[in-house]
Amino acid sequence: MSPSLFLYIASVLGAAALFMLMPKRGRDLRILGGLLGAATLGGLWLLLVPVFLLNDQGVLDTGFSDGQTPFYYVFSSIAVCAAVRVITHSRPVYAALWFVMVVTSSAGLLLTLSAEFMAFAMLIIYGGAILVTYMFVIMLATPPRSENESEDGPDYERFASEPLWASAAGFLLLAVLLSVVFQPMTKNPQAAALPDQEVINTTLADRGETAEIAALATPSGNAGEALIDEQGETVVNESGEPVTVEPLTNVERVGLDLFQSHPLAIELAGIILLLALIGAVLIAKTQIYNDDEDAEPEADSAAGEEAAAT
Amino acid sequence: MIALRDKLQPLAAPICAGAIGASFVIAMIVWMTLSIPENKVGLTVNFYDWMAFGDFRVGFSYFLDSLTMIMLGVVCGVGCLIAIYAAGYMKGDPGYWRFFTYMALFIFAMVTLVTADNLVLLFLGWEGVGVCSYLLIGYYYDKPLAVAAAKKAFIVNRIGDFGFLLGIFLCYQTYGTVEISVMLAEARENVAALGEGYTATTADLWIPFLLMIGAFGKSAQIPLYVWLPDAMAGPTPVSALVHAATMVTAGVYLIARCIPLFELSPAALPTVAVIGGCTALFAATIALCCNDLKGVFAYSTVSQLGYMFVGVGCLSIDGAVFHLFTHAFFKALLFLTAGSVMHALAGQLDIRTMGGLRHKMPVTCWLMFVGCLSLAGFPFITSGFWSKDLILGDALAYGLNGHSVYLFVTLLGVVTAFLTAFYTFRLWFTVFMGEEKFEMGDEHHHDTPETPEAEHAEGDEAHHDHGHHDEPHEMPWLPMNAPLVPLAIGAIIFGVLGYKLHWFENIITHSTADPVTASLASGHGDGHGYGHDDHGHDPHHAYLLGLDAHDFMIILSSLLAIAGIGLAAFFFWFNRALTAKIATSLSPIVKLLENKYYIDELYDYAFVQPLRRLGGLFYVVDSLVINNLIALVAWAPSMIGRGVRPARSGRLAAYSLSMVTGIAVLALLIFMAVAR
Amino acid sequence: MTSLLALSSPMLSHYLLTGALLFVLGLIGFVSRRNLIVMFLCTEMMFQGVVVTLVAFSAFHGNFTGQTFVIFVLTIAAAEAALALGLVVLLFRRKQTLDSAAWSSMSG
Repeated sequence: MSPSLFLYIASVLGAAALFMLMPKRGRDLRILGGLLGAATLGGLWLLLVPVFLLNDQGVLDTGFSDGQTPFYYVFSSIAVCAAVRVITHSRPVYAALWFVMVVTSSAGLLLTLSAEFMAFAMLIIYGGAILVTYMFVIMLATPPRSENESEDGPDYERFASEPLWASAAGFLLLAVLLSVVFQPMTKNPQAAALPDQEVINTTLADRGETAEIAALATPSGNAGEALIDEQGETVVNESGEPVTVEPLTNVERVGLDLFQSHPLAIELAGIILLLALIGAVLIAKTQIYNDDEDAEPEADSAAGEEAAAT
Repeated sequence: MIALRDKLQPLAAPICAGAIGASFVIAMIVWMTLSIPENKVGLTVNFYDWMAFGDFRVGFSYFLDSLTMIMLGVVCGVGCLIAIYAAGYMKGDPGYWRFFTYMALFIFAMVTLVTADNLVLLFLGWEGVGVCSYLLIGYYYDKPLAVAAAKKAFIVNRIGDFGFLLGIFLCYQTYGTVEISVMLAEARENVAALGEGYTATTADLWIPFLLMIGAFGKSAQIPLYVWLPDAMAGPTPVSALVHAATMVTAGVYLIARCIPLFELSPAALPTVAVIGGCTALFAATIALCCNDLKGVFAYSTVSQLGYMFVGVGCLSIDGAVFHLFTHAFFKALLFLTAGSVMHALAGQLDIRTMGGLRHKMPVTCWLMFVGCLSLAGFPFITSGFWSKDLILGDALAYGLNGHSVYLFVTLLGVVTAFLTAFYTFRLWFTVFMGEEKFEMGDEHHHDTPETPEAEHAEGDEAHHDHGHHDEPHEMPWLPMNAPLVPLAIGAIIFGVLGYKLHWFENIITHSTADPVTASLASGHGDGHGYGHDDHGHDPHHAYLLGLDAHDFMIILSSLLAIAGIGLAAFFFWFNRALTAKIATSLSPIVKLLENKYYIDELYDYAFVQPLRRLGGLFYVVDSLVINNLIALVAWAPSMIGRGVRPARSGRLAAYSLSMVTGIAVLALLIFMAVAR
Repeated sequence: MTSLLALSSPMLSHYLLTGALLFVLGLIGFVSRRNLIVMFLCTEMMFQGVVVTLVAFSAFHGNFTGQTFVIFVLTIAAAEAALALGLVVLLFRRKQTLDSAAWSSMSG
């Protein structure tokens, strides 16, 4: 039985579960959908762990230090479940709160990947700034409740527009993506990627950078060891003591990469932010006449008449 | 705004005439001070490259030699006088400014034509004068006759231009350049080597014939002459300038300029001469019975252009250019005086309604008399006599030297000379002599309700708006009669001066128009034929009845001219009753001539009707097949659009769903293609 | 069972699975939700999927460009939030509703 078949079955089941979970008219299948979804996710992992994580000797090999692997499953499950809630909840405020959950759990995922800076940046910017903005807007833009409305909010919140087709198309895309992820491609020997170490060394040498920087940028350098340059000699500082490899934090590495390799992208990002700022100001200043009540121009003219009368 | 326009409009004429006069003065100064480089016949001035693709380069470059300068002198000098005359003639016309705009544009195009150093630029001027001619013939665009005449002129000229264009292409292919000076230098060497080692190629044989078609179209020769008589629908100053003095001589100029190309082809020049001679005689016979005042002069123009072609055809380039020069003067004079008559009679053109106008318009009468004398070739005192004699003498000498076809051409020319004298004075005697009679025409283009004061201020007391008068009257001296006086003087004195002082021989030998063959035969040829001081036209020296050919021709044409004038005086002054009787007895011939040999009808039957029928066929095909095909092309997208219209619902969800589906399917397809 | 070759590391596939799931769920949400604000929230969730994917690649390939790009993703997300939410507020003030179907007359 081919493992990709699991993926396809799981995709179909997931689509069905999501369809049931969607808010829509007719019978409420949400509990059933929830159960089906949870079962699908759990089953998928249960089946895929032995396939992928056991090496040829039958030993579990995740590429992580021990004890980290379970966190992946925890955070991942929370993230996926929260994401499902985001798109199925009929109240925007709750959807936004569930989205905070998604952000938090994916930040946890980033922590397991030892991307600490990114994890906290995500938490602060997404979970903090952006989500607060969303909250503000949701509160600002709450329509007045009309009489014939149900307690769950207006129709457009309670009924998804195309749940079946959306789920089908989305999970078709998911199935394709997972097939790519889990299925080996035909390998082209010429296209085989160089080892990362080699790439880093050659690019740094091309840029004429010193072995010191090369060591800094090299992830495999072990902390505390003496730095050795390309001639095999120990690199010394001004006072003649051997330079040792300092352990690099995640922030330092990201910073090095950001400012060494992507200066133009930083500038562009700055310009985009500036444009967004200007745009937001402009949008905020735009005068809007309400379509429903076309009274404002008339009111103006009435005011004008009054002014003329006095 | 309108008031300003009315104020500015009268300025059109002074600006136009002044500019043309200034260019005349400048041209003459340039001629005086022109320093031609050694071993060169003319000066090439390149302003800038017009277009350049690969090896093909065309510049806005001008070539100045004495032929160019004499043409410039004619165009600008006569043009200036005619523009001054037109200032009075066109007064009160609603399109006053338009007329002078076209005039100035025409002069520009004509100057470009005569100064161009390459055939493409020459063609630009050639088409430019064609367009101006079209615009000016159709100037009275509310008259269907004028519009039809304009179209006719344009279309007939297209036929000629087609040949000319093919000629340019062939020249480029043969010589690898369109620069006239370069091309002619090579052609000269080829002509010089024609007997010894160089045989004319097929291209050499064809180029002159193609250029000839262009020249015949522009200069109204058989078979493309039909447009010129109709072109008289334009204002009379236009007839004088464009269709008598300058534009129609462009064909003569072209052949004169490119004469070495024509010498390469043994049949080319005889063809030119024979066509010219036939046209001269043919047009003269039509003019005999033409009752249209301007029509007579139009046919006489065709006839005189025939003489010029005879001139270039028998390598008497100096004669042709001489005749071109004198013809510009006396024909402009004739047309302008005819314009005065027409003006005085409010547009009346039928000479049968006129008579004895000499008392009403004495100045016009005698000015036209001078022009008629010159056209008729009255011996010794008129320039038309001398220039015509030079051509005919050269043709006769050429014929006597063994080219028997030229004897035939000479005969045609001599008969034409007699007919010319006869029909010219038939016109003059009819209009100005005999008992006084006139009928006013129906044109009141002199009425100027907008600016009556201006008109009174401008003219003298005779110059009233005679739309309300029933009497013809003399034209005012300024601006109408005065410019005619230099023309009349030119029509008299330039002949004997030019003939005796060998002006035109000198002009031609110092230009590219110097024929190689003559230079070779005269023993002065230096390979290029340039730079003779004394010009010996040896092949043009021959003897008939003990007399030099030219002297013989002087005597013969004098007799014929006097005979023609006398005959005309007898028939149309003293004894008009007899004339009418003879005309009745010869009525078939008269009818044939009055209908211009039914050539227009023949062309209509032979070309226009078949083409019209073909056009009708195409129209049917077009409306049934092509139109429906096009409708189908339009119908299919509209049907497709109707089919897919529901997709454009405006609902964001539908759009995004289709987008997501598209992405998913695309990803699936790519995956399936890659994952094999 | 035959052992399959994942791209680089077995665990990487799992992270990619999570990223893909988040992305696709966001996509489905964007299609099926009708509230304009939630639709934009769903695009942010798609960003989350991309972020997880980028960081996973970065960690398993020892190349920090992946993490660097997360910063740009954050930049774009912030800009998008500012502009899109501003527009949503404008639209809301115009029609007093957040239903995306209310604007179907914009189809021209």
